[in-house]
Amino acid sequence: MAVPAKPPIRQMAMVFDLNKCLGCQTCTVACKTLWTDTPGMDGMWWNIVNTMPGLGTPRDVFSHGGGYKNGKPVPGRFPSQADFGEAWDFDYEAVLASGSERGEHLQPREAGGTSPKWGPNWDEDLGGGEYPNSYFFYLQQVCANCSKPACLEACPRTAIYRREEDGIILIDEERCHGYRFCAEACPYKRVYFNQKRAIAQKCISCYPRLEAGVAPACVRQCPGRVRHLDFVDNKDGHIYKLVKKWKVALPLRPDFGVEPNVYYVPPMSPLAFNEQGEFDESESRIPIDYLREMFGKGVDAALDTLQVEREKVAAGKKSELMDILIARDWNDLLGPFTGNPATIERPPARTP
Amino acid sequence: MEDGLRTRPGEATLDRYRERWEWDSVAWASHCINCYPGNCPIRVYVKDGVVVREEQAGTFATIQQGVPDMNPMGCQKGAGWSQMLDGQERVIYPLRRVGARGSGKWERITWDEAATEVADAVLDAVEELGPESVIAPSGGNVGTWGGAGRGRFFGIIGGITTDINGEINDFAPGHYLTYGTFDPVSSVDDWFHSELVLIWYGNPNYTRIPYVHYLNEARYAGAEIVTIAPDVSPSAIHADLYVPIRPETDAALALAMCKVIVDEGLVDERFVVEQTDLPLLVDPVTKRFLRGSEMVEGGNEEQFYAWDTRTGAAIPAPRGTLLWDGAWPAIEGAYTVQALAGPRRVTTVFELMRQRLADYTPDRAATITGVNAETIRTLARKVASKRTNIIGSLGNGKYYHGDLVERAEILLLALTGNWGRQGTGVRGWMTGLFDGSFTVAAKTKPGPEDVVAMLDSREKALQARLAEDPTLTPAMVGIEQAKAASARGGGGMFPPLFFWYNHAGNAKAWERPEWSDPAMTRPFADYFDEAVGKGWWQGVDYPRKEQTPRVLVECGGNVIRRTRGGGRMLLENLWPKLKLVVTLDVRMSSTALQSDIVLPIAHQYEKIAFSTPTTHTMHLTFCDKAVEPPAEAVDEWEAFRRLAEKLEERAKARGVAPYKDARGGPHDLSGAHTAYTRAGQFVDIEMMADEMLRDSSITGCIEEGASLDEIRKRGFYRFQSLGMSPRSIAQATEPRNDETFVPFRNHVEKGEPYPTLTRRAQFLIEHEWFIEADEHLPTFKEAPAAGGNYPFRITSGHNRWSIHSLNTASSLMLETHRGTPHLVMNNRDAARLGIADDSRVRVYNDQGEFVVPALVSASAYPGQVTMYNGFEPYQFPNWAGPNDVEPGMIKWLHMAGGYGHLRYWVTEWQPSAVMRGTRVGIEKVAGR
Repeated sequence: MAVPAKPPIRQMAMVFDLNKCLGCQTCTVACKTLWTDTPGMDGMWWNIVNTMPGLGTPRDVFSHGGGYKNGKPVPGRFPSQADFGEAWDFDYEAVLASGSERGEHLQPREAGGTSPKWGPNWDEDLGGGEYPNSYFFYLQQVCANCSKPACLEACPRTAIYRREEDGIILIDEERCHGYRFCAEACPYKRVYFNQKRAIAQKCISCYPRLEAGVAPACVRQCPGRVRHLDFVDNKDGHIYKLVKKWKVALPLRPDFGVEPNVYYVPPMSPLAFNEQGEFDESESRIPIDYLREMFGKGVDAALDTLQVEREKVAAGKKSELMDILIARDWNDLLGPFTGNPATIERPPARTP
Repeated sequence: MEDGLRTRPGEATLDRYRERWEWDSVAWASHCINCYPGNCPIRVYVKDGVVVREEQAGTFATIQQGVPDMNPMGCQKGAGWSQMLDGQERVIYPLRRVGARGSGKWERITWDEAATEVADAVLDAVEELGPESVIAPSGGNVGTWGGAGRGRFFGIIGGITTDINGEINDFAPGHYLTYGTFDPVSSVDDWFHSELVLIWYGNPNYTRIPYVHYLNEARYAGAEIVTIAPDVSPSAIHADLYVPIRPETDAALALAMCKVIVDEGLVDERFVVEQTDLPLLVDPVTKRFLRGSEMVEGGNEEQFYAWDTRTGAAIPAPRGTLLWDGAWPAIEGAYTVQALAGPRRVTTVFELMRQRLADYTPDRAATITGVNAETIRTLARKVASKRTNIIGSLGNGKYYHGDLVERAEILLLALTGNWGRQGTGVRGWMTGLFDGSFTVAAKTKPGPEDVVAMLDSREKALQARLAEDPTLTPAMVGIEQAKAASARGGGGMFPPLFFWYNHAGNAKAWERPEWSDPAMTRPFADYFDEAVGKGWWQGVDYPRKEQTPRVLVECGGNVIRRTRGGGRMLLENLWPKLKLVVTLDVRMSSTALQSDIVLPIAHQYEKIAFSTPTTHTMHLTFCDKAVEPPAEAVDEWEAFRRLAEKLEERAKARGVAPYKDARGGPHDLSGAHTAYTRAGQFVDIEMMADEMLRDSSITGCIEEGASLDEIRKRGFYRFQSLGMSPRSIAQATEPRNDETFVPFRNHVEKGEPYPTLTRRAQFLIEHEWFIEADEHLPTFKEAPAAGGNYPFRITSGHNRWSIHSLNTASSLMLETHRGTPHLVMNNRDAARLGIADDSRVRVYNDQGEFVVPALVSASAYPGQVTMYNGFEPYQFPNWAGPNDVEPGMIKWLHMAGGYGHLRYWVTEWQPSAVMRGTRVGIEKVAGR
């Protein structure tokens, strides 16, 4: 079976509703405990939620280059370990069981014993603006399985491929030689480097779960019911309706030119105050220019549509869009991947 | 790049990840450590005898058509729980300290050695000072077996277990004053029905992670979300309006909104007349209700009156119903009534309240609160026209005058008819519902006979009482019985006031008048002595001064971390008096670290248990034993059984005679183990859990045929009825399987009276202390400057990363933020003080100090700093935690009693130490 360079037969995609995210990192922990809690991966956060505006993960996440401009690859760099944040160690023994008598307190240490100055969620809840008009929202990131995957194109080992059946982009770890061209090329900096194995690793969209009809852990475990999942071509599905029909779900940094398959419903924000301390209805609390930079020009129309449809519902009318975003039945968020991992029929567990 | 160069996808890689997502078995679970509301059904995946991960079940059915289901309830703590099972902070052997207390030097001992030390220390204490010198401070992680085991063990000794709500202070005194219970609680899915949500004294985006989706979904369904807070809180980001308010001025805002509603004629008069005391007649001079004893010879002291506009006469307010039977009381005006002593000039409570509201014009409130006057008017009109839901996260009671905020909030809802129907109300926390947990604690033997007999005698007692006084409700009878049991010293818990005041060291701060409300005309001790002297706390005013604590048993809490006043205060004042400190815990908490003996307890997934049953979720949720506990860890029931067994053995060996506790209860420790196990019948928690479920089927709170086998298959039951406990029944609504749950519907829909003095939602509290303090009606007062004269107010709040202190030192949770505690402060304040983000600051006042890295934020209110709570003191330099700057003041009025509904019963009316709003200074110090 040859690896298809052509578009996949079906493309799995996600919509993250930023108006529902509470920044709890359940998705992050769900991912961590499933995939990246082994040595060499302990500093990896395939899924991460960051407060925006903010520096993101890795630090200055959107300023390391990569992606495409006018169809040409943009040079990128692989952020340093310091930018990603090193895995931390906590010396419980020294504090709790070695007679330090208050001399030691429990705190994170980097490998060399230094105190960390950065980590994957370092600027949690900081954001921008000045009191009382400060603002922030939470931005979730996973591998976006881009339709123009810069990582794939950049790999000289052809170790990265896209699956025909769901459009997921995966790294063949047996072929990977750890050159990190993919990590340089990814404009979202979602590729990590496993120092122990000297290979690149990234979010795998929980393909073993998808293969069993179960939504990825970050999607299925999101208590905020933020994440919608489906194949893009399902015209009755949430992705198609939110992205194509209602146009309220937008790509992140569309200027990166990679055509990601993760979309975001942009954040509405509370009214700001004018200098008299009155509500100022003329401008968004989150500067609209910032939202345009993040989500492209479609953000104005998307926010307008959200407002119009909310008012419609408040006036007692029906709105397909609001019904989709509410998703009264949780399974509706999961598209065709509604399998319950606790009850699915699985192939024989492990070969004895 | 050409297609031909591409290779076949590496099956080896694919299989490696597929193999990671494999398991041998799956078990149901929940995190049964009083995570409130909690009750998240989880599936636990086990491979090679180890829990490899867990994931929310996601199997809730739709309850009410059109309302989102509750899936997939959970949070990051729950999603990473299994990492704690083999965390480095875990305790798996009995330990005895070999250095000084707190030195962190331990030796491993056997269970038998540990139990012997505990038993002898208990017997020494009983012989020296009596059983009241054995004390267990309640904590938030006690769970099914900690509660059952500790309760049984302390009952056998006659020791003191402090009241959990007093200890943790999730009490809502203003709710209690008004409703006679503090804890009306709608189900979380009911939030979806709201048209207006006021997030007020709460931060649900941190503290209600599994349920916040209902607020955001309500917003998509047309609701408006308004967040009222000093800081641009993490729960402001999804609001439509964020209303910044000066800290601790919220009562003024609520009262100004009430004034707008009254002035603009927006009052829901029918609701006010039926549900509240506002139409009752009152003497405007004495502030006392007009009473039956003043109106007719031999009249009832608890008979109140209203002015009937139809007949133009004073009429007795019906005591058995809220409905007026054809009469229509005036809510305004002044009237002359013919009393026994002659004509009396009276008015209505509403009229008094209206006069009081004259002080709260929007313009004046704007100067107090910093909220724009027009905004106040706008908010008031919204409340008057929309189904309004106030989402607070048990925050008010943690402020000195939080009760006044609560009373003002409820007044706002009363004027606008905003409780007892879907999408409305305030909320506290409640538990009850799960009858089996009470019946099994009381049974003499397994099987259905005892529970059938209990139901029978309960029904007979109820009917007998109703025959005596047909105006009572079952809830009122249940509460009356609970209060009477407490007054006999048999309620099972004791308000911590007496432990704190007599022994813990809190009195020093309480006796500083400048840290208390200036309305106190006498020293704190005078009020305390009066409250005790008048018998307002009869039966529960223990331990007394002479009953010095000798043995402290910590199970399910972390008293060194939690106590307001600080761990340092306890170590200096209480610890030297203690001959033995023993902690039962899954991990090395700050209290375990300061203990003499630490006993290893089985974690979640290592024992069966039930979550805290509550109307917030309406489900009884179950945790199975997915794996064996490590090494020598055991469940709490077994741990206390071992202690009881040794107690019996040592009591016999030492010839300890039977004795009576200070309340008169008899105890015989030579039969401790026999009593604990009911002669060997209650040893196995699997059998007991099964009994609890079967009993609950018999009482009807869950469906018929419930059993341990059955819940192991399905994970949870939905409650079918409120059950037997008074806290449950006082929710005053019959639950339905196809509707969200809303408390107080029987009051609003059927006119069922409230369990208060006036049998109405009561805004006038005529207790002499309240009148003296000018708090007989809701009002606004500036908070006293507790801690000293310092420029910053420190507030706390439940953190995002931990349930109580349980997960704060878990490495996985620490990696999701900066890995340390941090003090949130405003960026301009920080700049002024030369404080950079993530640099260390010293926080200090007259009570104490601690050092912590700053988190510099433009979202913090200038002049306010926030220290999210739960972190272990050993996560701070010198192990000085933030509680060390909290004087833990109590509001003297909360010691009041001898008046109507102001009487203690478990988790209800009592003083609790506050910590938020403490004054502190901040300065830069070297290092991180």
